[in-house]
Amino acid sequence: MSCWYNPVSAQSFVAISTRIRLARNINGIPFPSKMTAEQFEKVNSLVRKAIEESEDSIAKKLKYISMDAVPEIERFAMVERHIISKRFALNYQNRAIIISEDESICIMLGEEDHIRIQVLVSDLCLESAYQTANSIDKILCSKLDIAFDNRIGFLTECPTNLGTGLRASVMLHLPVTESKGEIRGLADSISKIGLTVRGMYGEGTKALASLYQVSNQVTLGISEENAIDNLKIIATQLIKKETESREQLDILKIEDRAMRSYGILKNARILTSAELLTRASDLLLGASLGVADCFAPPMQIIVEGQPYMLMKKYGEMSPDSRDIERANMVRNLL
Amino acid sequence: MLCEICGKNAATTHIRTVVNGEIYEKHICSSCAAKEGYGDIKSNNLSELLSSMLGESNFQFKKSEVTRCKCCGSSFSDIAESGKCGCAECYSVFYEQLLPYIKRVHGSTEHMGKTLEKNTCEQNKVQEKLNKLRAQLNQLINEEKYEQAAVVRDEIKKLKEGAL
Repeated sequence: MSCWYNPVSAQSFVAISTRIRLARNINGIPFPSKMTAEQFEKVNSLVRKAIEESEDSIAKKLKYISMDAVPEIERFAMVERHIISKRFALNYQNRAIIISEDESICIMLGEEDHIRIQVLVSDLCLESAYQTANSIDKILCSKLDIAFDNRIGFLTECPTNLGTGLRASVMLHLPVTESKGEIRGLADSISKIGLTVRGMYGEGTKALASLYQVSNQVTLGISEENAIDNLKIIATQLIKKETESREQLDILKIEDRAMRSYGILKNARILTSAELLTRASDLLLGASLGVADCFAPPMQIIVEGQPYMLMKKYGEMSPDSRDIERANMVRNLL
Repeated sequence: MLCEICGKNAATTHIRTVVNGEIYEKHICSSCAAKEGYGDIKSNNLSELLSSMLGESNFQFKKSEVTRCKCCGSSFSDIAESGKCGCAECYSVFYEQLLPYIKRVHGSTEHMGKTLEKNTCEQNKVQEKLNKLRAQLNQLINEEKYEQAAVVRDEIKKLKEGAL
């Protein structure tokens, strides 16, 4: 099935995915950190009813799932597929999600806010992803008593989300920009215009697989359209910069690097998560320059090679057995 | 990468120590980090920062009577401690106290985004239009298009007068 890490047609080599998130709450019920089991139940059933009763075609595609019914491994596999947050997977009791079959739409109920609408798609598609999220928001706003203040906008548990409640983000693959040591400088200038950049995998100084997430930080005093526009302009610039830098590279060296990584992935018998990320990143770069286009989508390998995704497929196992199973899985995919 | 201490969890905390010019690196998971006394690093997030900002001014409010939100029972010091409001109602109860911090976080205290769709009454329509125009005005000023900005400014003025 097509999803953000395994798109059917799109060839996204720099812009991997786009995510839109809207935070909403219902008047008269405390925020989730202060909610009782009955109040969780109330929020779940109110939102479920609003979606199920809607005639909108998007609402018809959505399915309600109680998180209490989702086993632990699948919960964390959902985190690895970026459908739910880690915090939500940890505090899953009494929570629920309303999700589309292709998992591009997921409404988390009882995360930090009562309602978190998320749309996650491949490529750089900020406007259309926002339109989808907005359609769901319209359904909910028309049927529920959504907390809103004319002065400070949509009300959220954390004041950092006040206003639009919108967090838009783009995941970019920036191996060449990174190798030129330009990420930190970019992060500094980006932060000045209300955006932030962080590594997607691994925290601290170096991002594994050179995957970075750029997102808006400010939600008050800026319209949805402007916030998305700003992000789009910056993302487009980063993509342009990365693409131009790639064109200046010695193609043979890139091909050599991609094919070496291919060799390792194709033949390794033990593969750690970190090594998979590094090697898959080389494949992704090689594929973008047309020197390594015969492989399974590198993002699919990365996501399906994550610990809980592996355990979802092959059963619970120790980290050592996971490294072996990961090597098997990647060998079969390539 | 797995934690170097327990070997079970993913290493999410990276500790770099420099002793006499020698660099030591450690990659450990959050629970081992907490045991090693690095627990605070993990919680170094925006809301904690906010709570410390809110906490600073908390002293001025401590003497006055404790007001509590009727919906969730939060007092302002509860909000200051956690950096988070207890419910939507808290924002109207503690609006004045929260405003300076909202401004510090966002650099603004005026919503410019979409307004609630279900409120189709005239006032909200005006508000929505005002928000849009204000956003447009900011954009034009940023782009240094002052003539167009002046037109938008006058439009805002007219709209405001009409609304009163």
